[in-house]
This record gives sequence, C-alpha cells and structure tokens, in this order.
Amino acid sequence: MEGLAPIDGWAFVAILAKAAGYAAALVAMGGPLFVATFRSAPGGALRLARMLAAGAAVVGLAVLAVRFGIRSARISGMGLDGAVDPIMLGLVWDSPLGTAALWHGVGAVLILGILIDGAMGLSASLLGALLVAVSHAVVGHSLGDPRWLLGGLVGAHLLAGAFWVGALAPLHRAADLAGSAALLHRFGTIASGAVAVLVLVGLTFAWLMIGSLSGLVGTAYGWTLIAKLALVAGLLGLAAGNKLRLVPALASGDPSASGRLRRAIRMEMVAVALILLATATLTSITTPPVNL
Amino acid sequence: MTRLILALAAMVALTTAALAHSKTDATTPAEGATVDTVEVIAMRFDDPMRITAITLTGPDGEVDLVRETGFDPVMEFRGMPGGAVAPGAYTVEWRGLASDGHPMQGSFGFTVAD
Repeated sequence: MEGLAPIDGWAFVAILAKAAGYAAALVAMGGPLFVATFRSAPGGALRLARMLAAGAAVVGLAVLAVRFGIRSARISGMGLDGAVDPIMLGLVWDSPLGTAALWHGVGAVLILGILIDGAMGLSASLLGALLVAVSHAVVGHSLGDPRWLLGGLVGAHLLAGAFWVGALAPLHRAADLAGSAALLHRFGTIASGAVAVLVLVGLTFAWLMIGSLSGLVGTAYGWTLIAKLALVAGLLGLAAGNKLRLVPALASGDPSASGRLRRAIRMEMVAVALILLATATLTSITTPPVNL
Repeated sequence: MTRLILALAAMVALTTAALAHSKTDATTPAEGATVDTVEVIAMRFDDPMRITAITLTGPDGEVDLVRETGFDPVMEFRGMPGGAVAPGAYTVEWRGLASDGHPMQGSFGFTVAD
C-alpha cells in the first residue's frame, strides 16, 4: 500500500505510546473545560474531573518522556541502547518534538492549577489546556503549508475533542447521582456544538492532507482515516442515543435509565480509545497523500 | 457559524498543503543499478532530512562510511566508503528525522560488478 512506513516492533510501541499520550492530553485538557462549563454540576462529578485532569497531566508528561526514548531508539537503529543514547535524545530534543514538549510541559504544570479552588486556579488550568493544544500543533503533519491554518485546525480539533472526552468520566459519575438529568441535558446541548466543530475541522484537515478521492482510497493514510471515521460514526451513534433517548428517559424518572446511560458512556470510552489508536496510526506510520 | 464555514472553505480552496515529509528523490548509486565502482553513497531528499544512522552492507559484511555531511539536516546526504568496495550485492539502510519531527527510514540496493 502506498504511503505506509515500515512497521517494526518499535513503530508498534510508538503508536501505543502516542495513543496513550493523546488520551492523557485530552483528559487533562478536558477537566478544566468541564469544571469551567458546568460549575453547578454535582460536587462528586467536579471533584472527579479535577482529580482526573491533574492525574492525566502528570501521566501525560511521563508518556512524553517515554516517547522521547522510543523515538530516539527508532532513529538510532540501535534498539534499547538508542533509547537512552544522549546524542540521539539530543537530536529528538532539537526536532519539533522538543518544541512540543516545552509547550506541553508548561501546559501540564498549569493544568495542575485545577486543584486550587477559585478563579485563579481554574484560569491557570484553562490556559494550560490551551498550551497543550498548541503543543500538538507544532509537530507532525500540521507543520505543512498552510501552517497557521493546519495548526489552528489541530488546536480546535483537540479542544473540542477534549471537551467531550474529558466529560465522559465525570458524566458517568454524575449519572448515578440525584438531579443529574439537568447536567446531562446541558452537556448534550453544548456537546452538539463541540461535535460539529470537531467534525468540521477534522474533515477540513483531512481534505488538506488528502486532496483527492484517489488519495482517500489508494493510500494507507486514506484507509486509516476511513477506519477512524467508521469508529467516529459509531461513537456519534452512541452519543445521539444518549442525548435523544437515555437522557430524556433519565429526566422522566425511568429507574433503568441511569444504568443504561452509564453503560453507554463506558462504551463511548472504548470507542474513544479505538479512535485514538487509529489517530496515532494515522500520524505515525502513514504519509498524507499530498506528500506522496 | 455559516460565515466561519464559508471563510474556512475559501481558505482551503485557495491553498494546497505543501510537503511535510521528505522522501528520497534519488540515490547514488541508483536503486537496483550495477556499477563498476562506488566513490560515494548519496541520497537526495525533497525536504531537509537529518540522517541519524546509515549502514552499507555487502558480501563481506558492513562497510564503513565516512559521513561528508555529518548529523546536520541536509537535502543531499553524502558518505564515502572507508575502504575498497568488493564486487557483489550491497544494501544501504538508513534512518533519519524529517523536519516535521517524524522518524523516517528507508533502504536501497545496488550491485558492484566484477
């Protein structure tokens, strides 16, 4: 297949680590967005959003360090020895991944501000979420031309995705608590807008990367994107079912609605994990058709 | 929202994404070629590439390569065989970092005639 890089064990590990990094980044960014948007949510849900965001910010930095080692190993061709080789690590640090790590590092520390009560802490964490979004726009395929448009699209895609992904665990917790129907209804309304942004900017970016129908169906990038879109369609189906069926059932006092909604949210989490794996594959071992 | 979509669509229509990756345009010796002698191993890229590892392997095992271009990002990488290159089939395997940060790798082969 055209545009597919050689896949060895290290490439496979790199994809897993990148997907884990995406998950950590989205949860870390999503926590401040959730707390800022739903200040009147049940205390348990807000507490969970704060703890998860802080935990994910720390885990995200650890994953980033591991990814430095993996990349260093890959470019050295020396295996595990290459992962700790100072010269190779230095070359990775000099590459766009080093720049991204700086933005990501500062962003992650600011996100920890979410643990501090009050407007200052929340503002710091929101700025941190923005910096983590920027860190993903200064590396990889978004460095093509037109750079500012591609970078802006990636940043918007991540912030909208983080709003959704970061809300899943707090909403899962809230669905079990009394009086959560109003929160879930409000999330459904705002998420509709966020999803529209997510899909619109995602498709625009894909169009810029692919440029033609033959690029979509004739390349590894295109097929990986098709797989991702199929998973996204499944996720959107689940989300629509929640918004149109389960949340109204919860609001009307249906005793089984809470359990069904919580199960559906867990399935959304699984779908998100698969989407992140597809995305990590797309950004790691395939070449956008416009670059072939 | 509609205005935003229209503005975005207009920008997209007016631009085509340029190269984010570099790929090997051509090599010396050429892929699959049969040559009498090898004075230089060269690879040309369409975007600066930092070659981080390169090996030349032939019938007598690995042949040392003296890098003319070092570790700097280059459009053309050049390396000279450190010793005599015996007749037989050779493979060049390389790894590098593209300017967008992606790790890249590739290989090509050629034959040195008797």
